[in-house]
Amino acid sequence: MHRALKIMADVVQNAPSVLQDIKAQNEIKMIGYFHPVFPAEILYAAGLHPVQLYPRLDEPITLADDHLQTYLCAYLRAEWDQILKEKRPYLDGAIIPRSCEAVTFLFQTWKRHNPFDFIDYLNIPWKNSANTLSFFTKELQRVKKNLETFIHREITTNALSDAITLYNQNRSLLRKARRLRNAQNPPFQAIDIFNMVMSGFVLDKKEHTRMMTTLLSQIEETAVSPEPSPVRLLLSGGCVLDTRLMDIISAAGALVVADDFNNGARSFHPIVTEGGDALESLARAYTTVPCGFNTAIKDRFSFLADAIEEYAVDGVLFAINRNCETEKFDYPILDQKIRERFEIPTMLIETDYPCAVGPLQTRVEAFIEMIGGKER
Amino acid sequence: MENRKRERPAFNRDIAAAMKKHYSLTRNRKPLAHTLMSSNPLIEVAYAAGIQPAFPENYACVCAARHASPAYCAKAEAHHYTQDLCSYCRNNLGYILADDMEPPSGGIGDPDLLLLTSSACSHYFKWWDTLQEIHRKPLVFVNTPRVMDPQNMPDFYVDFAKEEIKCAIGEIETILNISIAPEKLAHAVHQSDKTVAYWQKLLDLQKCIPAPLGLSDLSNALFVLIVMAGTKEGADLMEKIYHETSLRAAEGKGILDRDEEKHRLLWLNIPFWYNLKILGYFENRGCAFPMSDYCQYIWGVTRMDGNNPLEGLARKSLSGELNSSLDDHMELLIRDIQAYHIDGVIAHSNMSCRVLSVGVLDAANIIRKELNIPVLVLDGDHADERVYSEAETMTRIDAFLEMLGG
Repeated sequence: MHRALKIMADVVQNAPSVLQDIKAQNEIKMIGYFHPVFPAEILYAAGLHPVQLYPRLDEPITLADDHLQTYLCAYLRAEWDQILKEKRPYLDGAIIPRSCEAVTFLFQTWKRHNPFDFIDYLNIPWKNSANTLSFFTKELQRVKKNLETFIHREITTNALSDAITLYNQNRSLLRKARRLRNAQNPPFQAIDIFNMVMSGFVLDKKEHTRMMTTLLSQIEETAVSPEPSPVRLLLSGGCVLDTRLMDIISAAGALVVADDFNNGARSFHPIVTEGGDALESLARAYTTVPCGFNTAIKDRFSFLADAIEEYAVDGVLFAINRNCETEKFDYPILDQKIRERFEIPTMLIETDYPCAVGPLQTRVEAFIEMIGGKER
Repeated sequence: MENRKRERPAFNRDIAAAMKKHYSLTRNRKPLAHTLMSSNPLIEVAYAAGIQPAFPENYACVCAARHASPAYCAKAEAHHYTQDLCSYCRNNLGYILADDMEPPSGGIGDPDLLLLTSSACSHYFKWWDTLQEIHRKPLVFVNTPRVMDPQNMPDFYVDFAKEEIKCAIGEIETILNISIAPEKLAHAVHQSDKTVAYWQKLLDLQKCIPAPLGLSDLSNALFVLIVMAGTKEGADLMEKIYHETSLRAAEGKGILDRDEEKHRLLWLNIPFWYNLKILGYFENRGCAFPMSDYCQYIWGVTRMDGNNPLEGLARKSLSGELNSSLDDHMELLIRDIQAYHIDGVIAHSNMSCRVLSVGVLDAANIIRKELNIPVLVLDGDHADERVYSEAETMTRIDAFLEMLGG
């Protein structure tokens, strides 16, 4: 494994202690947020360390049951549980976007139990119009102002502009890594892309960008191994944290060449225009992030269809969390549209916190075998 | 305590007639728009435009009450709309996909137009988007924000909502090639406001002991408040409901007699539409439900000025329980628990309604701790009775009533 990839994997594996070290070394405040629809550039420009929130998978949910019912998203319940257990000592606050109802209304519970100094909420538009763009820009201004009050200083135009440039560069590198998956034998496994993206939610953006630059420059010089082309899959869903799914896919002889996850391609989707009104540019770009909760089916299908064509996908695996209502709602029509347009097989698997590997393995192996992967 | 069928207020018959007429119109009148109930400013706009609104969500309640929802939900599930999704949505999608069932109340017609707001939960956005995919009809969407802190709501929220409604009116006019006369919109808003005014006075009467109405009567009256919002018929009917209730209150007449009413309970969240008889079970044990958060805070909370309809409709779309902070909500609840002399709470942890259920456990804890009032949390669903366990629910209710002294 490439050294940078190894570091990224370690960062993901040990995210809490890495974040704790970053905080101690840099004496920096850290703000958590859910979903890639929040422009973390604003936090970065404020001199704060943005942390996209994801739970560790090694902790049974206990304390969160007092606040969140078991029919709500298990990832969210797990994250809240770990916050209540003070497993996020590095955090100083959080920003919660309007998204699915479980996350949206966690804001109220969060505010009431107030585990950190700062909490804010951001309305995300669910349609794209001049009026919603203007509104979203004002929402970002409101949040920026609240952050300025929190840090007792102004977030300057230059700082915002620099943060946008840096984040654009970072996303451009991740998109480049994504494009490399298009090779007949891509240089990266799904787990590598997972670690690249997820480490970006932990590390300082400059550090992560340096790491990605090094990784890609060296990968590009590496000869591609002459292995036969495996089954090429696209994974779609809210997010997958249990990497054993990727191991199962790989062991069954398939390759994940594209994804449609919050902790995958959606997170590096926005391209922010540089120059001009920074907040308006952020608003314009982040409105296009194709998450399930803010995006109409036709636009989600367009995102998926582009990926299916570009990455010569042989099959689509919908990996959707139990109780993820927005992804579950879109699935039947997305599935139908994909089958009709591309005549490729699809399958839905339900993931959980953590996944029950046995049944998952049987189904995924059967699906891949049907497409032309290894026979068991 | 005697088990008996109690005499319900006469207005329930008027409401039943209005419902029958409404469902007939949804099959026969054009243009028909499918729209939603929660803080929806497009209801008044629809009536002003001569559009007949239909409410798949209300129809899901009708189906649930007639025990048709399980079959519709199962049909939707067979088309991969899983049980994680709200049973109102599954009921509606199952209704569309089923061609072998006799629909309760004759069903609702196919839409010519889809009218959506984001005042309700994210499910509705997905639901109406799915309806657009199925019906291939134009969708007009008022994308109102969620207000998390009403006391500190930024001014631009109202301006934004006004502009959204204004754009929606323009879109409707273009789609249907009509013009919505400003005086018709003003009239609809005025009628809607009149309905709300009587509704608020009606809720106030429920503070009387005994409570003049039961929760099923109030839930029935919601039909008038929401589905008929913006019509003269609705305003007149709500006035009639208020006057009858007012008379009952003046005469000291309740669903329970004064000496029968031992406890006054608060119902949190949506009722079990398929099992409203459970309210009779409580009544037969001396428990009245003078209020519920569902009737009290979600709808009919905003007064509107017919002379400034856009402002009123914008404020309507930004109000209600879904646009509230937990602290404000708890303050209201605590105030009303005292004002309505509540001494016990039934909290429905409704797996289909995340917006009303996230926070229910917190609310239950706060009520127990701050008011020392017992709270029973019941797991269930508003429309899908397959996830409801009668035996478990009744055992828990019996234990609760025994503890309460019922």
